[in-house]
Amino acid sequence: MLSGVAVLLASVGASLGVGAALEVGVARAGEPTAHVSRTISLSETAHLHRTSGRGITIDQPLNEMGSASGTIRGAIYIHLKLPAVNRVTAEVNIYPSGGSITGYATARYSVDGGTASFSGTMSIARGTGSYDHASGSGLSFSGTIQRSNDAVSVHLSGRLSV
Amino acid sequence: MRTHARTSLAVTVALALTACACLPASASAVSEQATLHASFSPDRLGASTTISFGFQIATTEGLAPPPLTSLDLRMPAGINFTTTTLGLAICQPAALLAKGLAGCSPNSRLGFGSAYVEVPFGTGSGDEIPEIQALMGPPHDGNMVVLFYANGKTPVYAQLVFSGEVLPAYGAFGSQLATAVPLIASVPGGPDVSILSVQSTIGPSRLTYYRHSHGRLVPFHPVGVSVPARCPRGGFPFSAQFVFQDGSSTSASSTVPCPPRRRRG
Repeated sequence: MLSGVAVLLASVGASLGVGAALEVGVARAGEPTAHVSRTISLSETAHLHRTSGRGITIDQPLNEMGSASGTIRGAIYIHLKLPAVNRVTAEVNIYPSGGSITGYATARYSVDGGTASFSGTMSIARGTGSYDHASGSGLSFSGTIQRSNDAVSVHLSGRLSV
Repeated sequence: MRTHARTSLAVTVALALTACACLPASASAVSEQATLHASFSPDRLGASTTISFGFQIATTEGLAPPPLTSLDLRMPAGINFTTTTLGLAICQPAALLAKGLAGCSPNSRLGFGSAYVEVPFGTGSGDEIPEIQALMGPPHDGNMVVLFYANGKTPVYAQLVFSGEVLPAYGAFGSQLATAVPLIASVPGGPDVSILSVQSTIGPSRLTYYRHSHGRLVPFHPVGVSVPARCPRGGFPFSAQFVFQDGSSTSASSTVPCPPRRRRG
């Protein structure tokens, strides 16, 4: 039955550009369980505003919230830190319907007048609910910060398995 | 680092004539000594502040030091110019050179100061270049660039634009401002002047920016560098490395003491 579901998902996924795979695990009671993972091509754009902090430093994160749109939709929270003058790190939390995804990003950071920009990579740390098994590959993390008001635009792309 | 000069650098004829009777101040090898000082205003943990820094260069022989060719100023970890609202506009070096400060947006200003230089035929007490401006320049390789505009009138008549690049630093330091200092000829083809001291600020003190609001320009004060929320044991370290035209170098360091704890209640 499970393999039938996997085949069905794979065929649906193929038509949508989504890959599917079957993982088999062992539950607490010792009974085998199965998780059907699917891989989606992620392309998210979000516009966020500052919720606390002012500017980013090594010990003072810039906390931002907004809405993500694209492949998945939901609230997005980003905590940005600047461990070096040209490098930014971020914790990214996305709350789509049915779960959440948490990732960590590191990116090159530069300032060009009133706009700062960053570009780097992100990895998925964990997920909950429908995204309990979330993992990513080739995820990019880029965006801009308006220095006058700390408004952030961010773009995430790559492959996400859930 | 690129250097720009609007005119050939010259001094008055009278001083040039005087030069004929004197040896260049840096003709012989000397031992340079430098001192550095830095301060925060206001000096309060976590507060937006203006950094004042300055250095003096002298020689043990009492002669003018050789011309300075590069300065690398290292600043404490946790102090980061990119987290401020300083430098919201970019100043183009060519416009700065052609029109002076009027060639750049007020929103590109980062700070200001002055310098003392010694012309080879000077009195030994130095002559002031009263106006040095620091502005946000076009980034280089993604790094923030600080433009310095020196506007000398007499005895050295020079309008110079040179730049420093903000780079990462490690250990106790968070960033460094690596600046290539141009040689300033005293007279065309003549010996270069020596820099004796520089004072400058980086921060919002006495700077006014403008933003558009409902069709009007509204003045505001930019947010400066924040003093880190925690003070390292021994205070906030600054250091500077000086390299001179003759290949010699020296260094200096300074510490801004931890501010006194604020009383609660």
